[in-house]
Amino acid sequence: MSQFIAATGFGIVNAGIFALAAVGFTLQFSVTNVLNIAFGAIMTLAAFVAYELNVVVGADIWLALIIAAAASGILSVLINRGIIQPFLKRGTSFFGMVVITIALDLMVEYAVEAIWGPTFLHYNVAAGSPVTLGSLSFTHFQLVAIGISVVGMLAIHLLLKRTKLGKAMRATSCDPRLSKVCGIRTSRIHDAGWFLSGMLAGMAGVILGLTLGTFSFTVGDSYLIVIIAATMLGGIGQAYGAMLGAVVIGLVTQWSSLVISGGYSEVVAFVILVAVLLIRPTGIISGVAADRNMAA
Amino acid sequence: MSNSDIYLLTTLLVYTGVAMIASWGLNLQIGETNVLNFGFILFEAVGAYVTAILTLGPDTGNGGVQQYVFGAVLPFPVPWLVAMVVGAALGLVMGLLTVRRLRGDYEAVVMLVMAVVAYYAVSADTSLLNGSEGLSLIPAPFTGAVGGGPNTSMTYRWVYVAVVALVCVLAFIVVNRVTSAPLGRALRAVRDNDAVAMSLGKDATRLRILVQMVGGALGALAGAMLVQWVGAWAPGSWTYPETFTLFAAIIVGGTANIAGVGLGAVIVPGIILEGVIFLPTFGPSYLTPALQWILIGVLIVGFMWFRPQGIIPERRRRFPALAVPGTAGESNAVQLVDLEPRRS
Amino acid sequence: MSSDTVTGGVEATRGGSDAVAVAENGGKCILETRGVRKSFGGVVAVENVSIRVPQGRIVGLIGPNGAGKSTLLSILAGAQVPDAGSVWFLGEEISRQNPVKRARKGLTRTFQLSGDLPRLTVLENLLLAAPDQRGEHLWAALAGKRVWKRQEEALVIRARALLNRFDLRKHEDAYVSELSGGQRRLVEIMRSLMANPRLLLLDEPFAGVNPSLSRRIESHLIDLRADGLTMVLVEHELGVVERCCDPVVVMAMGRVIAEGTMGDVRTRGEVLDAYLAG
Repeated sequence: MSQFIAATGFGIVNAGIFALAAVGFTLQFSVTNVLNIAFGAIMTLAAFVAYELNVVVGADIWLALIIAAAASGILSVLINRGIIQPFLKRGTSFFGMVVITIALDLMVEYAVEAIWGPTFLHYNVAAGSPVTLGSLSFTHFQLVAIGISVVGMLAIHLLLKRTKLGKAMRATSCDPRLSKVCGIRTSRIHDAGWFLSGMLAGMAGVILGLTLGTFSFTVGDSYLIVIIAATMLGGIGQAYGAMLGAVVIGLVTQWSSLVISGGYSEVVAFVILVAVLLIRPTGIISGVAADRNMAA
Repeated sequence: MSNSDIYLLTTLLVYTGVAMIASWGLNLQIGETNVLNFGFILFEAVGAYVTAILTLGPDTGNGGVQQYVFGAVLPFPVPWLVAMVVGAALGLVMGLLTVRRLRGDYEAVVMLVMAVVAYYAVSADTSLLNGSEGLSLIPAPFTGAVGGGPNTSMTYRWVYVAVVALVCVLAFIVVNRVTSAPLGRALRAVRDNDAVAMSLGKDATRLRILVQMVGGALGALAGAMLVQWVGAWAPGSWTYPETFTLFAAIIVGGTANIAGVGLGAVIVPGIILEGVIFLPTFGPSYLTPALQWILIGVLIVGFMWFRPQGIIPERRRRFPALAVPGTAGESNAVQLVDLEPRRS
Repeated sequence: MSSDTVTGGVEATRGGSDAVAVAENGGKCILETRGVRKSFGGVVAVENVSIRVPQGRIVGLIGPNGAGKSTLLSILAGAQVPDAGSVWFLGEEISRQNPVKRARKGLTRTFQLSGDLPRLTVLENLLLAAPDQRGEHLWAALAGKRVWKRQEEALVIRARALLNRFDLRKHEDAYVSELSGGQRRLVEIMRSLMANPRLLLLDEPFAGVNPSLSRRIESHLIDLRADGLTMVLVEHELGVVERCCDPVVVMAMGRVIAEGTMGDVRTRGEVLDAYLAG
């Protein structure tokens, strides 16, 4: 039983990190209809930028996190303006766009390796004593990770439901052409989508580095597939679906390690994903994807 | 040429030939039929593993240093042929799993996920294919006939290059026949617009599964040829980004053009990835591979922007003038409407 | 309309599989729907539609935007499966058959907007459509050209004759993406003809086509009818429908509201109302 509780604790921590990243990934897809594989490399880059600020410059880790997240958001907007939009204006196919984001992913990830090398790094932080909640035991950073994730999810919820920007984003994701006709400046909405998504990627990357303890230049890409799995499980383009998918994947991967070898936890996650997609090809919550498919 | 030059050159040639066959297989899928197989590397992996266990013998051999299922010793070229059959069977499974697709991105992601699942499963289970350590000591073929192996005889290395070249020629003939025949036309119709293809009686589902199987057999053959040259195979040899080097080869060379894709395989996996063995080393050991991957990324984006059709674009298929039998020239009399009943 | 004339009038011709129904006016009826219904997420697109297509006619399908014409055409072609009701072709129920099977039975369609195969040449478009090609089988393709060359040459000759008849012979090597909108529609019609159709479903073939080419397409359709081809024509432009179609089926809000000759239906009040409301 205690093992089960411990696994649940780890699962919640992972779910929090997956949720931050998955919501960022899915928001950007729903607003811009580009499946951005470079998302993983942006997570990595943010983790290393925070390392540079924290270890080399000597800044506090939380300040480093904020700066790295903001930098990731700005980089994402630059990628959108400089590369993605020109290709989209040319009418590059969906598949072509995926290939381009893969190429960007390779470039950023290996630029990180070329700069910082392939070794494992860690942040300059005090470990602190573990915090016990009932029979669950968390490290300081795990609790902060959960906290940031919960606050982040609430903020996204309020943004989408309460603000003009959020409504415009939802409208753009439902029907880009109609939104444009209605006077929504879609190019600004796209920038906002990329910025938000980049920021969430950056936060997830740094927090991943913190909770893992040590990380290398493959950190983002090694989690990207799990994040895509969480996203698709929930139904791609669905912010709440991504949160749900993240919780499912986070918990299931940990629970499964109680039953079979921990090496299989990813296998279990992906088998669940494939099974869900085969039964319900649009994910648990279908919406954007199904609508677009019908309109096409 | 010194022996070390021959050593490097033959390695370069074998890798290029292997990549060429795999690229042709992948091009049948993404280039001709728009089957977005982001998990293509799985075919190579399966071909390599099948060949390994069909040449290594029982896993009690070599002092029992590694564990795997079903060891056997089959003569060349039986392991390669079995690898192709297993590759085609895997293509059938992948095809059937993605048949119920709604959108191309789901198809692509399901295939990518399958490659990743296989990677984790093979890594985690040491009794299946020796886990993340991978298999080693895989014997080279026809060493007896040549009188030496890849590490002892330069002649052997040239013989292996010749075998790879011969297989490339055969693969070229296969791919060329498929794409030049009415079958290729039907594949390209599915690529351009599958709803239209179906409205004309072309079974898009069957055709997609077909290219999964043919491409799968070619991918597995590439893996089979590679593993008996290298002598070792581990999950690290077939991580999912490896598929993207083949994508790069196709984009740079020319999508849906066999000669173009072949050229792309020479340029990207050949010259860019393997050609560096001829360069003097510089910087730390990780720097060169990192720069290679950055270069591949730059090439993909650059070609997509400046020359999306690739170096050798898809060929426009023209048909020779034909006289109508029994007349001097062409006719415009044609029976347009078929009022006869048909069996179906 | 009742279906007793159909069930009662089935006659077996040339073997059981080719039974055709007799329409009220005495001609054979090759396609029929009975009480077809289709909704998308609660929105009813087609409701209780029963139509009959007599052999050798061009049946006009008209109605305001959103009337359900294109959905009905998709149901006839097999791109959509009806929620209720049935579709019969040549005396056989085909309600749940996919477009591939229907095409092989001689039921072909053109598309309203997206019917192009842009990276196939005009001639390839035509060759593609021919049924029963040996070279489409993997083993024949692998065996080499000699297996399928003769059939291919015969098809090229046939396709070129068709191109001559439609004045597009000089464009045979052009990619479809290099043609004008009207020429693309012609390619689509020729392509459908290469499939040896018994029935051709045309989804707004005149949309976005310049007037002189429209006239040519129209006269081609009339020629094809004289050759014995049956067609269903979905169209906005009522002039064309008046000149080509008999009977005309008027739809509005997913239902058939009138049927008859164009002269008949244009005098009906409900038809005028539907158009004014639409």
